[in-house]
Amino acid sequence: MEKCQFCGKPATVHMTQIVNNKTTVVRMCSECAAKHGLFDKDGLPFAMLSSLGEALFAGLKHSQSASGLICSRCGCTPASFRETGRLGCPNCYKDLKLLVDGIVESSQKGAVHKGKKLKSHAFVDGGDWNTLSGGKGDDGRRKKMSSAERLDALQEQLDDAIREERYEEAAKLRDEIRKLKG
Amino acid sequence: MAMNDFGKKLFHDAREAKETMPAIISSRIRLARNLADAKFVKYACRGDLRAVANMCEKALSSCKILDGNSVLNVCDLQEYERTALVERHMCSQEFIVDTNESRLLFTPDHTVSIMINEEDHLRIQIFRYDLNFRAMFDRINAIDDHLADNLSIAFDEHYGFLTSCPTNVGTGMRASVMMHLPALVITKQINNLILAVQKLGFVVRGLFGEGSEAKGNFFQISNQQTLGLSEVDILSRLTQIIKSIVDYELNAREIVKKEKIVWLYDNIGRALGILRGCYSIASSDAINGISLLMLAADLGYLRGNLRWDLNQIMMKIQSSHIQVLENKALGSAERDIKRAEILRNFFAKIPDLKFE
Repeated sequence: MEKCQFCGKPATVHMTQIVNNKTTVVRMCSECAAKHGLFDKDGLPFAMLSSLGEALFAGLKHSQSASGLICSRCGCTPASFRETGRLGCPNCYKDLKLLVDGIVESSQKGAVHKGKKLKSHAFVDGGDWNTLSGGKGDDGRRKKMSSAERLDALQEQLDDAIREERYEEAAKLRDEIRKLKG
Repeated sequence: MAMNDFGKKLFHDAREAKETMPAIISSRIRLARNLADAKFVKYACRGDLRAVANMCEKALSSCKILDGNSVLNVCDLQEYERTALVERHMCSQEFIVDTNESRLLFTPDHTVSIMINEEDHLRIQIFRYDLNFRAMFDRINAIDDHLADNLSIAFDEHYGFLTSCPTNVGTGMRASVMMHLPALVITKQINNLILAVQKLGFVVRGLFGEGSEAKGNFFQISNQQTLGLSEVDILSRLTQIIKSIVDYELNAREIVKKEKIVWLYDNIGRALGILRGCYSIASSDAINGISLLMLAADLGYLRGNLRWDLNQIMMKIQSSHIQVLENKALGSAERDIKRAEILRNFFAKIPDLKFE
């Protein structure tokens, strides 16, 4: 078994770092790894990195059945994903779906996006805004609105936008109000 | 040497909400976005990256919320200037390593900073010194809307916002709160708390990730999952968790006051003595001392509302900040001397402690 480079205990963590095409391999025990505060790109701690590792590993299991896949737009393959931990372009989500779904399944809460939609700029109101203000509990109210309430709110936003000379936004709000009024 | 323009911009910190909350240092929301028609950063060539950067910069320039912003080409900066941006949490560590066509845009008050060509084409971040995700999300969402109006953003009905790593896909949103939890450390409850928070699908890490207890009892809590939950869902869950951690910490402070009062007075008193009298001090010793004085401020042992000033001094004494202040690279011994000087001057003006 490999030994930790710092203390000589059995190494359980192997990190390969590639910077400017120079490859460095570091072997260490989990204590030394924690002590050295190893991070992945987001600065996540090692405990997190290993759970990320599990997620990616689960993705790899899928990638065996996914082998042979290649992104028709950027040429990314399951192998290049394994190497970099990153996909190549937005189209990879389509062409390497099998690989992506494996990773998503093990690292995410669900498989389907429930947040903000791009087209409408509306985000799904899946939670309670009332808990969102930092303890003062006064300004967090965004419940599902009736169309009359919505109209009032939009008018208010429009007035604000005009006062603050945000004309692009004002134009959008005006159009939205027209649409609501039918 | 006087500070250069970069230094003046960096130290001009007027981030809103100078009100402080016990146990909370700051909070952030970050959105990851990519252009629909370009390769992700890791696979792109320099020409691609330059084109992406120019498009993003142009789209951002017409955004009213970002009026008066500055844009930095990261490769033009000194090493210590780059790390000062990380110390100030204005960009990530990765962002300053590979600096090809990496640009950082930030507002004059530092509340919004946008990394162009980090691992995703755009990483938009909003910052506050207290906790109010509602206000933060409204603002960052407006910037995001502006981008969507002016750029073709990679989005899929099923997966949501597409990111270069599938662990960010969906909302592309990471929200985090920096907490100051000395009493939970003193009463040895912190590890149980970390485990509990992790079970809820949230991540705990240290100030800049280094070993936790040694670094001034600062912990950062953020969401792990980005897909399958809405932004509001994630932010309200995180807010609930943070509020209960604040309650645990405040309870623990009462316990410390009851059971370890001599230990508490002794350690706070010694910390102030060290910070007033030091002539050379390492960053970790300084941060540990300031952490104890923040606790003293929260407990009312320091007269005047000094929590905000303590936040600021903690920022200022970090290694790269000292070098920016001096406008030159300094070795660690020189930094320790300069740090001690800043601390002596600051703590000389602080009134004596008043214990109950």
